Amino acid sequence: MAYERASDSGQRRSQEWTLAAETEYRFELDAGTSLAIKLLRGRAEIFGSELVEGKIYLFYEECKAAVFTWQGCTIEISQPSTEYISEETPMSAYANLHVAFEGMRVRALLDAQVTAHPEKATREDLEENRDGPHDAPRVLILGPENSGKTTITKILVNYATRAGQDWCPMLVNVDPGEGASMLPGTLLAAPISTPLQTSTPAHTLGSAATSAPSHISSNALLPLGYWYGHAETKRNPLLMDRLIRNLGGNIWDRWDTDLRGRASGLIVDTPSSFSTSSAANNEHRHNLIKACVDAFRINVILVVGHEKLNVEMQRMYGSRVTVVKIPKSGGVVELDSLYRARVHKYQMHSYMYGERVNPPLGLPSLADASPLTGYIIGGEQSTDLTLAPLSSVINFDDLSIWRIGEETMAPTSALPIGAARVVSEMQPLHIDPSLPGSGLYNAVLAILAPPHPDEVERYDEEILDLTVTGFVVVTALDIPNKRLTILSPNQGSLSGRTAILGSFEWQE
Amino acid sequence: MSLYPQSQAYGQMQNPPMGYPQPVAPPGNYHYPPPPPAQPYHVDPHTFRRDYTAQLAELTVNSRPIIQNLSMIAQDHTHYADVVTQCIEAHIRRVPPWMKLPAFYLLDAISKNVYDPYARHFSTVVVRLFIDTYEQVDPSTRSKMIEMLTTWRNGAPSGKELFGVITQLAIERHIWPDDASRNVAVSSSPKGPRRRINRRQRRRQSSSRSPPGSSGISAPQVLSELEIVLNQKERAFQLNPYDKVAQNQIAILHQLRKLVVQGVSQEELGQILHQMRTTLSQPQSVPPPAAIPPPSAPMPPPHYGRPPFPPGSSNHLSAAAPQVSYPPAFSQQVYQQPKPEQVAVPDVANVSTVPPPPPVENIASIFSALVKAGLVTGSSSSTPTGAGATAREPANRPVNSAETATETDKQYRKAILSAQVKLNSADIIRQRTVLPQFLYDQLPGQCKHCGIRFSDSSIGKQKMQDHMDMHFRQNRKAGQATGRGHSRGWFISVEDWTNDSEVDIKGKGRAGAPRSMKAAAAADAAKVDAELRALYVVVPPGDEAKRLSCPICNERLEPEFMEDDEEWVWKNAVNKDDKIFHATCHAEAALSKTALAVRLRSEVSSRSRSRTPEARRTPPKYDSPSPSRGVKRKAEDDESKTSQPSEQSERTPPMKKVAISPTE
Repeated sequence: MAYERASDSGQRRSQEWTLAAETEYRFELDAGTSLAIKLLRGRAEIFGSELVEGKIYLFYEECKAAVFTWQGCTIEISQPSTEYISEETPMSAYANLHVAFEGMRVRALLDAQVTAHPEKATREDLEENRDGPHDAPRVLILGPENSGKTTITKILVNYATRAGQDWCPMLVNVDPGEGASMLPGTLLAAPISTPLQTSTPAHTLGSAATSAPSHISSNALLPLGYWYGHAETKRNPLLMDRLIRNLGGNIWDRWDTDLRGRASGLIVDTPSSFSTSSAANNEHRHNLIKACVDAFRINVILVVGHEKLNVEMQRMYGSRVTVVKIPKSGGVVELDSLYRARVHKYQMHSYMYGERVNPPLGLPSLADASPLTGYIIGGEQSTDLTLAPLSSVINFDDLSIWRIGEETMAPTSALPIGAARVVSEMQPLHIDPSLPGSGLYNAVLAILAPPHPDEVERYDEEILDLTVTGFVVVTALDIPNKRLTILSPNQGSLSGRTAILGSFEWQE
Repeated sequence: MSLYPQSQAYGQMQNPPMGYPQPVAPPGNYHYPPPPPAQPYHVDPHTFRRDYTAQLAELTVNSRPIIQNLSMIAQDHTHYADVVTQCIEAHIRRVPPWMKLPAFYLLDAISKNVYDPYARHFSTVVVRLFIDTYEQVDPSTRSKMIEMLTTWRNGAPSGKELFGVITQLAIERHIWPDDASRNVAVSSSPKGPRRRINRRQRRRQSSSRSPPGSSGISAPQVLSELEIVLNQKERAFQLNPYDKVAQNQIAILHQLRKLVVQGVSQEELGQILHQMRTTLSQPQSVPPPAAIPPPSAPMPPPHYGRPPFPPGSSNHLSAAAPQVSYPPAFSQQVYQQPKPEQVAVPDVANVSTVPPPPPVENIASIFSALVKAGLVTGSSSSTPTGAGATAREPANRPVNSAETATETDKQYRKAILSAQVKLNSADIIRQRTVLPQFLYDQLPGQCKHCGIRFSDSSIGKQKMQDHMDMHFRQNRKAGQATGRGHSRGWFISVEDWTNDSEVDIKGKGRAGAPRSMKAAAAADAAKVDAELRALYVVVPPGDEAKRLSCPICNERLEPEFMEDDEEWVWKNAVNKDDKIFHATCHAEAALSKTALAVRLRSEVSSRSRSRTPEARRTPPKYDSPSPSRGVKRKAEDDESKTSQPSEQSERTPPMKKVAISPTE
């Protein structure tokens, strides 16, 4: 099926693969390598985002992905680390899911249109809509670690944007270890109107807006995010619960005026800790699932390849929510914590400095490439995707830095009998950078939106309900002179802002 | 002005194929001009030439995506302008006549959009190329070429001839051998202060001299230009069927054409021709170009802003030219009054505060002038008395397109529901092959840049056009931004996010979205402001000399003469409770709802009259959107609400955004 051939230059070895219908070519890159894929004939897609014939797509930073084809195709590739073709994919099931969701969307849209403009509705419309009301698909995806939840989220969102119906599904990420279009530690929601691109694990679910022009709107997202600050849900489940409910409230506010957005529904990607039961976190786990179901008004729960969880969900929510067990893809790669740590570095670097790509050996470098070469990096044709952050020195007083709850929180059961907690999980604590052990050096801080302008409207825990404006990193701490050196993504002033410390650190 | 096919023509043959096979000849058959001297670039010129020629070979039909793609490549490779020029010239000379026009559109697009250095390069070859092609093609292509030629008259970013006056004249002389095009030379002669002609003086001139353009204008020439304008208007009208202005203009143009066919005097021909060209260069009346955005954001000043004088009379004009400096926006306005009776213009002290009349007046006024002159029997139904008023109507999106949109929704709904996929674990894993049909078969049009697909319905084509325009804009931005560093933006606030649905859906440049929200707010404000300013109150007979001030801002209301209605009016004025207010002031006061403003409104205006009008003016707030990030529209409103009464109460001069015409 595959044969090697020497390319024109003689140095570069490229390979052509011919894929039969409904098969996929899977690849995994090692650190420091990149891969170029060109679609020669036929139609192909990567996690639901279609490839253009003749363009050269670049993948880098240990990207692991698959080129799938519904009707067969021929691709040319260069230098992957691990590669194989699989004929067993769950794509047909995912496609069925998508078609079922489309059915819900079109009915929900008709419903919304008839409700909004009853005078315009034809008899036929009303007839079709008689067994209403119809709900848009609001999907919660659950599954154990390495079951491909994020990929399924991506495929379902991408198919919705490709329907040609101007859908704008809401992508919600409540996995604080994931980061989506922001950084790990955030819970966020972003409406998606063009397919999410795949090129690097730093941007699995789109990337946030920069000042550079972009051709794909999913590379210039304006997500709404709350800072949780930790990768693990068990660190502060109460805070998670609150942030999830905040996120849900805002989504419904937005949908008040956006009929088509509401009809497009939402898809929630969850952390694996929602699905792996252990005695210690079972209560939190159920509380967080319930928070999602309530806040986003979930009506479909997808359980990826997990019998027991499926039964559990059927029992708990089966009466009001459709619970569907879906197959897991065999292409899922087991990811270890070291890999996740490297991905976190890629994400931080990409947030501050943009993309850094070197095409595989033998291909012209990005600087020399003409548009005719057709390089596509994460959907963008631009050859310069680097960003310029700003390093600045500020006084301790310019930024008010907080932490939510104690850094190390003993479980309530470990406290002496009768003793109450001195600091609750939800209490904001001010951090004095001049004290030793503040934990600020190399720390990632989330800059929050300004508090309510009206003093009367403010409250003690308002800081928990403020959304994220951006992220900065403390790169140096000068205690004698009371100064911080801060790396921030752009030139915006930080003075007077509020920041929250989490448990993430980053060093270049 | 778009010369490119509108949605109806998208992807179709401009001309019958006449049995030619699709030219997919291998590149080896092409004849290459000798390669230019080797240049130290990374992509070597031979490769570039080969690639570009290969892509050019695909330009067999009038296809916007191909033209845009080719012009984007040209834009990225200005250092190979000579190669691009040679490739295009070779292509035009090589291909059969029916394939030449699309290539000319490409030449046109590159020259207008990139301009430098392409216009320079093309200007050396375009004369022969145009004339040779013109002689080979059929009449319908000819008229399209003439249409394109006329846009070259002011196609350069400066508003001058795209390829220079000599080139333009050389082509026009050939196409219209009767030397009628010499007025191009007049119009492109140094403008400077002569363009800044006081409106009154210009009127006096037009009354004192003989009607312009009376030498050597042939009826066929006028007719051909008339057809061009008419075509443009009709296409614009098709795009936007609820544009009453366009409808009116089309009706007028039809009447004019009938008139010319019936035969009119040289003098009238000159007038018509002149007006025609003025309208042609009034881009506001034409919808934004569907194909390629104009070369620069501000539209070039109309090129035929001055009447086409016979060559001998130009010294008369320059002698009379005053040295009064008027803002450029004013000098763009064309006040051509073919009818001497209207010349009695009052002595208006401050002409420059007059908001420019809607462009529709150009056609409307010539028609009404001709009606008065007895040339045309004006039927009341088509007489554009309300043309100026309709110009204010927002160009609503056509209702019928919304209807077809629900129709498309319905078809899609039926198709999706007929798949009957049930949402349960058993049905989900059943093998079906329904999805590819939705992903590919029903969306045949694919963007060659990012792979997004569109249906082939008219809505789908329109969406695809918008999408291609988006790519073009982003490429353009990328080209302009080289050298400037980019950075990650801040995320938007909850308020912006929850109200932001429109911005996120349309697939526009996300990067500037927080600003574009502000821009939208500013555009809204500007629109409201323009609507307010267009309001007027007719001055009661005998009150023309009466001094009147707006009770809110204390500035004088200046009476002006409305040509359409032939009445004296106070512009930007409303009559509330028998008092005349500035419309903008009144609206703002109504908004502020503060007791003070209410009191001011109900107060007798006599107190205000004694006050000295305040000359100091601040620019309108929406002209300088605050660069700070978090400021929201609401906040600005609050600011204006609170700041206004305090100014009033302190009796400080009105620091207001009223009574400022956009011409300042």
